[in-house]
Amino acid sequence: MVYTRKNPALLIIGVIMLVYWLAVSTGMLDGLLKVLKTTGSKPEMIQLSLIFGVVGVVIGLWQWFGSHTEGELDYYSSAIAGGMFILLVAMLVRWYLDPLVRLASTAIGPVIPGKRYIHGVFGLNYIVLGIVAGMIIVNVFKIPDWAQNGVRISRLGLKTGVILLGTLYSLGELVQLGKLSVVLIGFFVLGSVGLVLWMGSRRHISNSMGGVLSAGVGVCGVSAAVAAAPVVQAKSEEIAYTIGTILVFGVICMFLFPVIGHLLGMGYIQFGAWAGTGILNSAQVAGAALAFQPRGIETLKVAEIFNITRVLFLPIIVLWLAVWYVRREAAAGVTVQQVDTSRVIFEKFPLFVLGFILMFALSSTGIFAPAQHYQGRYFDNSKSKLLEEKDLNTLKAESGKLQRDDEKQALARLLESKKTQSINHDTTLRGIVNSGVLSKDANTVLTKAHNAVYHTAKKISAFRKWLAWLFAFGLTGLGMQITMAAMRQAGGQPLVIGGVVGTAKAVFSLIVVLLFVRETI
Amino acid sequence: MKARRILLASHGTPGAKAAEAAAFGLCEPGGRIRHLVVVPDFWKGMLGDDWLNNAAVHVRFGRYVEGQLEREIVAHAETVAAEAKRRGLDYDCELKFGKPADCLVAVARHGEFDLVVIGSPRPKGVEGLRSRMDPETLAKGLTVPLLTVPHPGRDGGRRKDME
Repeated sequence: MVYTRKNPALLIIGVIMLVYWLAVSTGMLDGLLKVLKTTGSKPEMIQLSLIFGVVGVVIGLWQWFGSHTEGELDYYSSAIAGGMFILLVAMLVRWYLDPLVRLASTAIGPVIPGKRYIHGVFGLNYIVLGIVAGMIIVNVFKIPDWAQNGVRISRLGLKTGVILLGTLYSLGELVQLGKLSVVLIGFFVLGSVGLVLWMGSRRHISNSMGGVLSAGVGVCGVSAAVAAAPVVQAKSEEIAYTIGTILVFGVICMFLFPVIGHLLGMGYIQFGAWAGTGILNSAQVAGAALAFQPRGIETLKVAEIFNITRVLFLPIIVLWLAVWYVRREAAAGVTVQQVDTSRVIFEKFPLFVLGFILMFALSSTGIFAPAQHYQGRYFDNSKSKLLEEKDLNTLKAESGKLQRDDEKQALARLLESKKTQSINHDTTLRGIVNSGVLSKDANTVLTKAHNAVYHTAKKISAFRKWLAWLFAFGLTGLGMQITMAAMRQAGGQPLVIGGVVGTAKAVFSLIVVLLFVRETI
Repeated sequence: MKARRILLASHGTPGAKAAEAAAFGLCEPGGRIRHLVVVPDFWKGMLGDDWLNNAAVHVRFGRYVEGQLEREIVAHAETVAAEAKRRGLDYDCELKFGKPADCLVAVARHGEFDLVVIGSPRPKGVEGLRSRMDPETLAKGLTVPLLTVPHPGRDGGRRKDME
């Protein structure tokens, strides 16, 4: 079968991107960009639209006019049009829809104390809007035939994003977050799997339904249900109920979690830990983290460590459920096929996690950020590095708001020396910013002190930009795979049990995070 | 009322079973029942937003779901076929993938039928999968009379047996 369509769609997308490149680079759109306050994104617009415009035109011409035969090249080429379609939607959302929503929201004014606007409270940024745009496209307009194959490569974008994220952790962060995530995920995964099985036995659901539902609700949502369904031999109705329920829950959580996080004044680490633990579906964890903190990646870094921990639990839980299912069925006198444990572990092991570890290891060697880049920052006492008198007054006026001794001492040290003194000092001051205890003005001063001593290496800075695009691309594409038809299947016992256990998991993980997770690591 | 050639849409749910009972009751002795089973197209979206699993897991899941649906449909069709045989009716089964109403209209147009029989959606509060049958598409597309049999869960199941 030949997959590549002889269709002008890819060529048209390429031409649109090139026309856009021309319009932006010649300054034709300067007025519009100024109104939308996106002039800062102009270099990115020029670069991306030129590169992908050329790719679209060249490959589009070949696809439309060339001859195609069955084979590897044809298969991979058939995915390009869909990938470019997702990218075009992600560009429109990031460069136009997001700024428009922000402008409208700012015009309406703050909706809650602390000068929070609608778009901030509901996390209406390019990530969430991208997912929503994807969902609207698939459910209202349908994905065009020529784009069907390519929509699936959004998974590649997300996995590449997670792999690249590996470059942004320090060993300390990874160890601390890793320990925290193993404890929290271990407790909540095992707890929710056990609770689903217990409730299932009380409500007399079948073993297969208990198995597929507990994997979905307990581990990482649809991914776990997909992995577990064949192993526990779930019936079609049970699969439809479970996946429908998880999709509904995931979408609700993605919108609800950032709102609650902002209302409770949670910091980045607290929110990342909560989203990574409490949201049933792993795709929405990244979405909620980026909705909570659209202009930074601290929350995403925490949430993704929790996501990776969940994924690493997946083969273990699937194996456990497989053995549990075989034993339960055997006890009931039903003959079922024995489980091939090595195959389950090998097949379900998430290989992209190895890529994440490799990038972290490479980053640790300093290959992306040479040592001299950081040299002497903390010892530079030139005037440009010091805080000004008005900055110090802003901080002094709010120093009484701090409760923790280490934070009080860190602020006093900053007021005395007018600059950040060490990495640990900087970390504590960042913790104050993340906790949201001080006003926006005070946090701006603390960020200024941080920027005076901390500069991201060029490569790391580039990785951050790529990450934003990879996650925007991946999540917009995943939005195109969330169909209302699948969500409408939510029902039956999975809706009852999944609803109870999912809500309990979200609420209890919130309590645990608020009580035990601190805003510094 | 009796009919010689009946198109029956059913997929084993309580509502569909009521339709089966009605179709058998309404079919003339020696008549023919064409049994249409539609696998709804929502199954295409059942991988949802899974991004963690690799292609091998997706293929295994796809094959499993396909095999499972086939097993369930074959078991259901065998039951209906046995009942048809017991009553001396001519029976054949047709499997389609897509939107149930579109499939039903297409099959009804291409065959010669006197009556189309379907079950009705489950009443509120009764457990079961959501009905995917769009009555408007049927009303606009069918050229033969349509009988929608009440769900056995409705009105305390007073009309559960049409025989």
